Amino acid sequence: MSNYIAEFETLFRDVLENDDIVLTNETTAHDIDEWDSINHIYLVVEIEKHFEIKFSSSEILQWQNVGEMIDSVKAKKDN
Amino acid sequence: MILSKPKKTTKMLFNSFEFFIFLPIVFVLYWFVLNKNLSIQNILLLVASYVFYGWWDIRFLSLIMLSTILDYYVGIRIHGTEEPKKRKHWLWLSMGFNLGLLCFFKYFNFFIDSWITAFNSIGIEMDPFALNIILPVGISFYTFQTMSYSLDINKRRLEPTKDFVAFATFVAFFPQLVAGPIERASNLLPQFLKRRKFDYNLAADGLRQMLWGLFKKIIIADNCAPYVNDIFANYETQSSGTLILGVIVFAFQIYADFSGYTDIAIGTARLFGFDFKRNFNFPYFSRNISEFWKKWHISLSSWLNDYLFTPLAIEFRNYKKHGIFAALFLTFLISGLWHGAGWTFIIWGGLHGLYYIPVIYSKKRFTSISTNKKTSKKEEYSLSDLPKIILTFLMVCLTYIFFRAASVADAFGYIKIIFTEIPLWPSGVPYKSLFFIVIVMVTEWFQRGKEHGLQFNEDSKVPAYLRWTIYILLLLIILIFSGQQQEFIYFQF
Repeated sequence: MSNYIAEFETLFRDVLENDDIVLTNETTAHDIDEWDSINHIYLVVEIEKHFEIKFSSSEILQWQNVGEMIDSVKAKKDN
Repeated sequence: MILSKPKKTTKMLFNSFEFFIFLPIVFVLYWFVLNKNLSIQNILLLVASYVFYGWWDIRFLSLIMLSTILDYYVGIRIHGTEEPKKRKHWLWLSMGFNLGLLCFFKYFNFFIDSWITAFNSIGIEMDPFALNIILPVGISFYTFQTMSYSLDINKRRLEPTKDFVAFATFVAFFPQLVAGPIERASNLLPQFLKRRKFDYNLAADGLRQMLWGLFKKIIIADNCAPYVNDIFANYETQSSGTLILGVIVFAFQIYADFSGYTDIAIGTARLFGFDFKRNFNFPYFSRNISEFWKKWHISLSSWLNDYLFTPLAIEFRNYKKHGIFAALFLTFLISGLWHGAGWTFIIWGGLHGLYYIPVIYSKKRFTSISTNKKTSKKEEYSLSDLPKIILTFLMVCLTYIFFRAASVADAFGYIKIIFTEIPLWPSGVPYKSLFFIVIVMVTEWFQRGKEHGLQFNEDSKVPAYLRWTIYILLLLIILIFSGQQQEFIYFQF
């Protein structure tokens, strides 16, 4: 799990162009200024590319925080 | 029922005598007579809300009730099944009904007219037979509110309520029924389910916000209206300078009208112990277009952001920036159509969409259409941002020409005069209105970190006698300089 968080953190810092970002499972878009609706799409694209997976649209729309995003990745990678 | 002629509108406007009587009655019953029992308090608010709406037209109350019953039931059914197919069917029932209602009442004539024009232009003669359909006031607002309830339950972001009265009151609550703010169930519904306590400070701040809203509506919007109406009706005979001033005055008219309405709505809700989400955040101080859309009619732009832009952008995400732009442009076209069934509104939305091109295609990706971000961070803009603020304001003004003009041809005619003639000093300058506009804008500039123009913190250093002088002065100005009562612009949407 902690591994995923670290990888997510790198991706977030890269896409949102802010090296101070620190993620926890509970982090939401409210906590990070740069994480807005347009950047959210870029994040999704980068995560899919990085982990070589594809999310379904409804999956993406249900995420409430970083933890749920990581759960989605884990479910795809660990199976 | 629908085909009858529109009767003279007698809406219970916030700035009307009826409301002045209605509000204290409900207030006293709510806090002093029925305050023992939460359910009875909610029933009172529901009945009061239906009376408020029925005052305008009791027939259309049935539409609100239908929409309420349907989404209450759909919410429970979606939540009650895990089968994706069934969930989808229930959701489509809600979407189909609400959008169907909206389309029929709002867009039927527009589509018929457009079809006839299209056929005529290719030589096929068709008789115009558009029906005279009355637009039920508030329909664009409450249908969006009920749809978001079912959508949120479908996305498992919300659990359906089993308290029908609370849900019905959430849909019809009179402060926000006819022109928003478009509240989300996640914010407002829980407030109906728990006891409200009378909070003097909250109520007093609500009254201040109402006073500020009334001032903006009655002194600025109602006084600017005749001036702007005259210019837009006779733009061919006006000079370039007058037309420029005309659209600038309209910008302040619509801001004063709609943000004034919103201030009264939020203030009224506070009197009853409810907390609405913020709808305006001093939008004319924005430094770029995306900031503007985070500060103007926030409840609509965040609705469109959550339920339209984001799903579309996710769908289009493999097309990178083009996909994001396509999603955004479509969202703004639909936003235009939401405002009114006409090409002028669609072009207005389209222009705002085009304004985002530099935002999306430039290297820095810093923005969204709108988010509900907390504005806890102190607004950092200062007077040195003035050139950017003015540029953004002028870009917005250009779109207002389409928003306000009677037709697309009129809008282009208006713009043509502005850009082809040398601007001379405008004629008939409404100095009185301009004076009050300056007062409001300067006040709001200094208050820009607060929730509304007349908010004082509890530890405010402004002494009480000075505050009371301001209130009394504002009331006197309202009594002396009030313009002829005008309907709120956003009631037609």
